Amino acid sequence: MLEARSRRRRTLGGVLLALPAILWLALFFLIPLGIMVVVSVLTRDASGAGVLPLTLEHYERVFGVFSPVLWRSIGISLVATLVCLVIGYPLAFFISTRQRQWVRQVCLFLVILPFWTNFLVRTYAWRVLLGDEGTINSILSATGLIQEPLQLLNTQFAVVVGLVYGFLPFMVLPIYASVERFDFRFVDAAHDLGANDLRAFLEVVFPLTLPGVFAGSALVFIPCVGAFVTPDLLGGTSGLMIGNLIQRQFGGSGNMPLGSALSVVMMVIVMLTLLAYVRFGTRRA
Amino acid sequence: MAVYDIELRHLVKEFGGAERGKRGYQVRAVDDVNLQIEQGEFFALLGPSGCGKTTTLRMIAGFEHPTSGEILISGRPVQNIPAFHRPVNTVFQDYALFPHMTVFQNVLFGLRMEGTPRTVAAQRVEEALDMVKLGHLAQRKPSQLSGGQQQRVALARALVKRPAVLLLDEPLGALDLKLRKEMQLELKTMQQRVGITFIFVTHDQEEAMTMANRIAVMHNGKVLQMGTARQIYEHPGTRFVADFIGETNFIEGDLVARQAGAGTVKLPDATLIEAQLPPDWSADSGTVTLAVRPERMGIVPEGEEADMPKMPLSVLTGMLVEMNYIGTDTRYTVRLFDRLDIAVREQNVDYEENYDFRVGQTVKIFFPLASASILHRD
Repeated sequence: MLEARSRRRRTLGGVLLALPAILWLALFFLIPLGIMVVVSVLTRDASGAGVLPLTLEHYERVFGVFSPVLWRSIGISLVATLVCLVIGYPLAFFISTRQRQWVRQVCLFLVILPFWTNFLVRTYAWRVLLGDEGTINSILSATGLIQEPLQLLNTQFAVVVGLVYGFLPFMVLPIYASVERFDFRFVDAAHDLGANDLRAFLEVVFPLTLPGVFAGSALVFIPCVGAFVTPDLLGGTSGLMIGNLIQRQFGGSGNMPLGSALSVVMMVIVMLTLLAYVRFGTRRA
Repeated sequence: MAVYDIELRHLVKEFGGAERGKRGYQVRAVDDVNLQIEQGEFFALLGPSGCGKTTTLRMIAGFEHPTSGEILISGRPVQNIPAFHRPVNTVFQDYALFPHMTVFQNVLFGLRMEGTPRTVAAQRVEEALDMVKLGHLAQRKPSQLSGGQQQRVALARALVKRPAVLLLDEPLGALDLKLRKEMQLELKTMQQRVGITFIFVTHDQEEAMTMANRIAVMHNGKVLQMGTARQIYEHPGTRFVADFIGETNFIEGDLVARQAGAGTVKLPDATLIEAQLPPDWSADSGTVTLAVRPERMGIVPEGEEADMPKMPLSVLTGMLVEMNYIGTDTRYTVRLFDRLDIAVREQNVDYEENYDFRVGQTVKIFFPLASASILHRD
C-alpha cells in the first residue's frame, strides 16, 4: 500500500520532471512535423505555399526527377561515414589504449577542438585549400607534379572531405567509449588460443566494439544525409544533396509542398537508419 | 639431462623502471624463480595476492616477457616465441569467454586458429564439451550460463587444443564454496584422465593441498618452499610458509644443543623442548622460532599428567584463557609465560571422556618431537 503510493508519487514526479521537454517537443517538433506531412500532399499555389486539393505529385517528383539527388545524398553520406570509420577507429583505439589518463584527456580535447571554430568558417577554409588556385593546387604545380590545376572544389570528393572533416569527432567519441570499456583479457585469451594480433582484432576486438562503431556511424550518417552547408560551399552542382534541394524549395524558388515532401523522405531515411541502429547496434554483447 | 614439461631458470620480472621513466619506480614481481615441473604433474603456485604467482603463470603463457631468465617448455626455450605459438593453454580467472560467441564457437575458436579442418574440429569440440558434460548447452551464449558452467567451457576451450601444459589462473576463485569443492575433485579427476601437466595458481592453501601433487609457496616474488602438501605442512621451512599453510603456533626460544636432525630449544621459562631442524640448518646456537600445529598438541588439566601418552614428549605449563566448542573439535587457548597465547585443537571423539576444563585453570600442553619444527628466518 505504502509502497504503491510511493511508486505512484515517483511516477508522477518523473512526469513532472519530463513535462518541460514533453511540451517543448509537442509544440516545436510534433505539431510542425504534422503540418509538414500535411503540406507535403497539398497543391502548390502561385506564392509557393500549399493549398487544396490533395495530391501526391510532389512525391512522384521526389522519386522521379529528384531521385538521382536522393541516391547521391545517400551515397555521399555512406562514403563519408565509411571514411570516418576508417580514420576514426584507429584514432579512437589509439587514444583509449594510452596508459596515462591525462594523455587520453588531451587527445580527446584535440579531437573536439575544431568545434571551437564556427562550422561555416571551417567549411570556407576548405574552399581555400581545394580551389583551383588553392593551397593544394599551388603546392602541386610549384613542385611540378601537375601542369593544369586539379578539379578539387565543386566535386563530390570535396563534399566527402568536408563532411568527414566536420563529423569525424562524432565517430571517434562513441568508438573511444567502446574500446575503453573493452576488456583486454579477451585479447590474451585469443592469443592463448592461437590467434595472432590481426586475427585477435578481427575476431574479438572489433566485434566486441561494434556498439561504438554502430553508434558512431549513425551519428555521422544522419547529419550527413541532411547536410546542406557543406555541399553548398564545396559541392557545386555535381555535389548537390537533398539538403540543398529542401533549402531551395523554402527559399527563392518557393515550393513549400515539394520541400515538405523532400523533408518527409529524408526523415524516413534518418528514421530507418536509427531503426537499423537500434536493431543491430544496441544489442547487448 | 632430464627434460621437464616446464622449466624456469632464474626467472625475473620487473615492472616499472624503463616504462615509468626517471622516477626509478620499480617492482620485482618475480625474483629469481627456479622450477622444474615434470610431465603429468598437477602443480600449484600458492601465495597471497601480489606474491608473483600470476605473473609467473603469465610469463609461461607468453602474456608477459621476462626481464631475465629462461622458460623452457618441453626442453625448448620459449622467451622469444609469442603466446599464440606456445604449446600451452590457459583457463583464465573469470574465464574470459568470448561474450559474442556461443559455447560451441568459443571452444571451436582455438581449432579454427590452427586451421583444423571444419569437420574434424566440430567433432573435437563436441568431444571436449561432452567431457565437461556441457554438450547440451553448445548453442548458449556464455552470459546464459552459471559460473560453474562457464568454468567448464573455459576448461573445454583450453583442453580442446591438446596443449602440453594447461595453465589455470585462480580457476575456482569466482565459484561459491560448495561448487568449488566439487570442481576441485573434478579438476583433479580430469587431470588424471587427460594426463596433461596442470599448473595452477591459487591463494587458497586448502585448494592447493586438495588438488596438487606438488606446491610451490611464493612470497614477494620468490619461491620459499616447494614440495608435496605433506612435506610443506609437516616441515614448513620458514615462518611465512608455516603461517600461510594452515594454523600454526610460534614460540621463540634459544637453541642450546643440536643432534642429528633435531635441536634442543630453551624457552623463556627454562623449559627444554626437542624440535626438528630443517635439513639445511647450519647454526649451532641463537634465537630461533618453533612452529607447532594446534592439532598436533594435547591438553590435560594440571595433575592429570598420568593420562598423557607414554612416549617422549615436550610439556609446557600455562593457563587456559579460552575454550570454544566448534563441532568436530574443541579449541583451547592457553597462555604461556603470562603473555604468549597458544592454540590447541582436540578432536571431540568421545564427549563423556573429556575433562571438565574451566577457564583460568592451570593446564599442561604436550607434543612429541615430530610435531615441533624449528624455522628458518624469512
